Amino acid sequence: MPSKYIALPKGVSEKAFDAAIREYREILGEANVFTDADHLASYSKIMIPDSTDNHTPSAAICPASTEEVQRCVAVCNKYKVPVWPISTGRNLGYGSAAPGSRGQVVMDLRRMNKIIEVDPVLCTALVEPGVTFQQLYDYLQENKIPLWLSCPAPSSIAGPLGNAADRGVGYTPYGEHFMFSCGMEVVMPTGEVLKTGMGSLPNSNTAQVFKWGYGPYLDGIFTQSNYGIITKMGFWLMPAPPAFKPYVIRYPEETDIVDIVETLRPLRLAMIIPNAVVIVHALWELGSFLKRADHYTGTGSIPDSVVKDMVTKNKVGMWNVYCGLYGSPEQNEVNWNIIQNVVKASGKGELLTAEQVGDDPVFKYRADLMQGKMNTAEFGLYNWRGGGGSAWFAPVSQARGSETLKQMDMAKKILGKYGFDYVAEFIVGWRDMHHIVDLLYDRTDPAQLKAAHDCFDELLTAFSKEGYGTYRVNTAFMDKVADTYGPVKKEINRKIKRALDPNGIIAPGKSGIWN
Amino acid sequence: MKKKINQTAVLAGILVIGVVASAIAGDALAQAAGQWRDANHVYSKICANCHEIGVGPVIKGRNLDPDYYQSVVRHGMRAMPAFRPTDVDDAMLKQVGEMLSKSPAPGGSK
Ligand SMILES: Cc1cc2nc3c(=O)[nH]c(=O)nc-3n(C[C@H](O)[C@H](O)[C@H](O)COP(=O)(O)OP(=O)(O)OC[C@H]3O[C@@H](n4cnc5c(N)ncnc54)[C@H](O)[C@@H]3O)c2cc1C
Repeated sequence: MPSKYIALPKGVSEKAFDAAIREYREILGEANVFTDADHLASYSKIMIPDSTDNHTPSAAICPASTEEVQRCVAVCNKYKVPVWPISTGRNLGYGSAAPGSRGQVVMDLRRMNKIIEVDPVLCTALVEPGVTFQQLYDYLQENKIPLWLSCPAPSSIAGPLGNAADRGVGYTPYGEHFMFSCGMEVVMPTGEVLKTGMGSLPNSNTAQVFKWGYGPYLDGIFTQSNYGIITKMGFWLMPAPPAFKPYVIRYPEETDIVDIVETLRPLRLAMIIPNAVVIVHALWELGSFLKRADHYTGTGSIPDSVVKDMVTKNKVGMWNVYCGLYGSPEQNEVNWNIIQNVVKASGKGELLTAEQVGDDPVFKYRADLMQGKMNTAEFGLYNWRGGGGSAWFAPVSQARGSETLKQMDMAKKILGKYGFDYVAEFIVGWRDMHHIVDLLYDRTDPAQLKAAHDCFDELLTAFSKEGYGTYRVNTAFMDKVADTYGPVKKEINRKIKRALDPNGIIAPGKSGIWN
Repeated sequence: MKKKINQTAVLAGILVIGVVASAIAGDALAQAAGQWRDANHVYSKICANCHEIGVGPVIKGRNLDPDYYQSVVRHGMRAMPAFRPTDVDDAMLKQVGEMLSKSPAPGGSK
């Protein structure tokens, strides 16, 4: 007999699932439980190089409060139904809103979208999972609260909680988002509600100002994990600086990456450059507004000579470094002089201000992101190749020129083997870089989908062999990446999982953690 | 529109204490299923981000069937993300489809 569900959770009979769905409906109401193919389509669409079948949910349940989350978790335990929590659900290029494996129920927390508090004095916010960056941005604007957000490039449609839960990054001085989170409320797999840090103390008013609390610091174990469902998260927001000055430094050669990193690292460490700078390769810079087919129709990855021509014609750098100055005009001037002198002394790089660049949409979107303004222009990258396929390959590198060059060479070589382009940027932390490669492919072409999958696999193998770990990965490769971090880490993750979630109901397989 | 924040605004902001969100009912509080003001609100806060800056195709003034819009929103299309019933519910999505279907092209051309 054909099932009435488009997928079933692993090991759960249709009868048991019927009963679970009935109970979710009692808790949430008919309108907030979805099992039909039409609605579930929006929970199934992925960009990553894997079959949609592997990520088809059995249902989506949409609680509106912590209490509803707790009650749903009780039902999950009763019927051993696995749930994959999402917040705003835009993990595009990492798995979108779809579950890690077939048949899991998506717990969509988008209806929990209250901005619980913004404290303009201490510059903190406490939000629920469904709050989008756009909503928080508008809230600050409407209330004339001079605080800035830091958001990832999908800005408006993504959200602070989900992004920080997956340890995402943005481009302001607060760009390492989890680092600027402070305090969580978590529904544990047992249904208890844990407040981390100072929040567990009754009547505490320091949950959003002091991260560590007392005893082991727990917040980290709820990120990139499946140990609980985060239902609130606190954030530190940046006071709007009196003046902001974005600038770009353009470099003509690919090998300039060595000098770029060596020149900028001391400035970044000394916080003369305070923000999460991006070093953007020409194909990312140009790919965000050009179409590949207009420049290259041959087979294989786009040749270096073609890229060079495009760079010259479009007057961009082979590398484009976007930075900002944040402070009083006087402070900015002092730092600007230092930066000008350092760049000049390095003998390389063309330093340009907003005024000098003029009306350039790429500069504008970068400047917006560096001040936490909503802008989704980066989606233009998907017009480069077309076909909606994307997988972020995201190894971590030391902030050392020789290392970044080595990683670039390795990535280019492997991508080239499969006919893909090196569309990449380095996002600069204090001592590290997130080397972000967008493996762009045409998902409507089965041969490209397979090639993209194999290419991603080889990238992971080759990089981990050199000791380069990835900071985050899509849902098709979670086990593989967990293995690269070694058996001890994997086993300890599993022990914690078993202790906290004996029935294994929360996001089985997230980050390669299984019961 | 986005406002420039100057030094006076910074100082003024510091004087406001402990703003609690529930009191305000503007754009900020209405950006998910059941909370949108109307179809234009959805369009301006979500669709326009890509479809008015040349990232996605122009979707106004195309004389497309309202159902087509609804289907693309729920299923996504190529790189366009799918939007869930918690982002915009069926009733509002229908209104968005109808509004777009009848809309004139931006700038009056095409
Ligand atoms: C063009 C483009 C550019 C991008 N640029 C960036 C960028 O600059 N920086 C960046 O970080 N990313 C970037 N991304 C990737 C991604 O879109 C963002 O990271 C986005 O913020 C993630 O989606 P979200 O915020 O809706 O989080 P969600 O999708 O809601 O959550 C992400 C994951 O975290 C976990 N999770 C979510 N909520 C909870 C919870 N309540 N409890 C427990 N676990 C939870 C789940 O595993 C979930 O899958 C980009 C994507 C695209 C398409």
